[in-house]
Amino acid sequence: MRPSTTDPRLLVHAYVDGELDPANALEVERQIAADPALAAERERIEALRRAIAERLPREAAPAGLARRIEVALGLRSAAARAASRPSWRALAASVAVAAFLGSGATWLALSPGPTDADMAVANHVRALMAPQPVDVGSSDQHTVKPWFNGRIPEAPRVVDLASEGFPLVGGRVDVIGHTPVPTLVYRRRQHLISLSEIPAGRAMPAGQIAGYNIVSWSDGGVAYLAVSDVASADLNAFAKAFRAATPEP
Amino acid sequence: MESLNSEDDQARFARVVLPHLADAYALARWLTGDRADAEDVVQEACLRAFRGIGGFAGVNARAWLLTIVRHAAYTWLGKNRSASLVVVDDLEAVEQQQASGAAAFGSDQQTPEAALIAKADARRLEAAIAELPVTFRETLVLRDVQGLDYREIAEVTKVPIGTVMSRLARARRRLMQRIAMDETKGGT
Repeated sequence: MRPSTTDPRLLVHAYVDGELDPANALEVERQIAADPALAAERERIEALRRAIAERLPREAAPAGLARRIEVALGLRSAAARAASRPSWRALAASVAVAAFLGSGATWLALSPGPTDADMAVANHVRALMAPQPVDVGSSDQHTVKPWFNGRIPEAPRVVDLASEGFPLVGGRVDVIGHTPVPTLVYRRRQHLISLSEIPAGRAMPAGQIAGYNIVSWSDGGVAYLAVSDVASADLNAFAKAFRAATPEP
Repeated sequence: MESLNSEDDQARFARVVLPHLADAYALARWLTGDRADAEDVVQEACLRAFRGIGGFAGVNARAWLLTIVRHAAYTWLGKNRSASLVVVDDLEAVEQQQASGAAAFGSDQQTPEAALIAKADARRLEAAIAELPVTFRETLVLRDVQGLDYREIAEVTKVPIGTVMSRLARARRRLMQRIAMDETKGGT
């Protein structure tokens, strides 16, 4: 963001929120270094943000709200929709079945020729609507990584990013193209981030599909694709933290 | 009547709207301050979203839905709590007079140390946010609770990004001062 104001007491908020472009961010950093009052303000803002993020109780939508809305709108229920399509848990339960169905991509309900990013978004949305967004739920990387053994050819790299504000939620097997791929799920406050590892894939430009931000990069011949509804600045921070925690091959 | 909507609209609604239901409910609850009222608002917003699903441009589903939820919440507040909206009008007038964001820092009242803020307990934090005037509250909730970026907040609340920034600064400043006040009163 290129701000219209130059008041540093306002800009320090945009700085903490990661909203400034690099030139303006550097300028604010310089001012913070030179002005103890501004440095204290920055600490207060960060403390407040942290307190809200970590301590404020989060409330899920009431049980049955989605169902009541579907009834009020005269929609077929999610259960009825799911019955007309193979269930996700059945797909995940068997790689062979998933690969078979994935080859037709009939269950994705997308226009012909979806990109990897389209499919990653579809996987993410489906996971959000399922009773559980993961097939193995654990914040312990030593539980999540071995779970993939035997389900896919190679277990993904799993790193712990809790200290960076992205605790591990678990993992699942997604299908992208015709291939079952490992997907790790991390949490940012109440939002989930799906990170798929695509062997021999290519990184793609960052973008947005159906309101979900996408960030992609490749590392050691493996393409990573992160999908989430967190702000793009947060998703970029996640990608940065994941890459920093991943040893270069 | 709804049967006029094609199966595609139903699928689209399920794909675009339902994944963001928790966010919709959270915003409605922060705006109305009540769980049952929030459910009514979300249901009304979903009805509007379903009717308008054909007009959704497909760019940012969450911001689109939250815009509709906010609108429905304001309609609800206007019907049921018109007093809280009068306060909004006053605030807007004040805000327009004070073109510069510097006004947010006018009187340098007591501002607590960061360490004090870090210790603020959940109940008091929640009460302090609930006490914010609605324009400040929605900006703070969209940013610090729901994690939208400034551009998205500007879209949802229909104000320029500069206004988002100054409202956010004021909302945070009020929370900090509130926390300091609670502390000097000796808690509870």
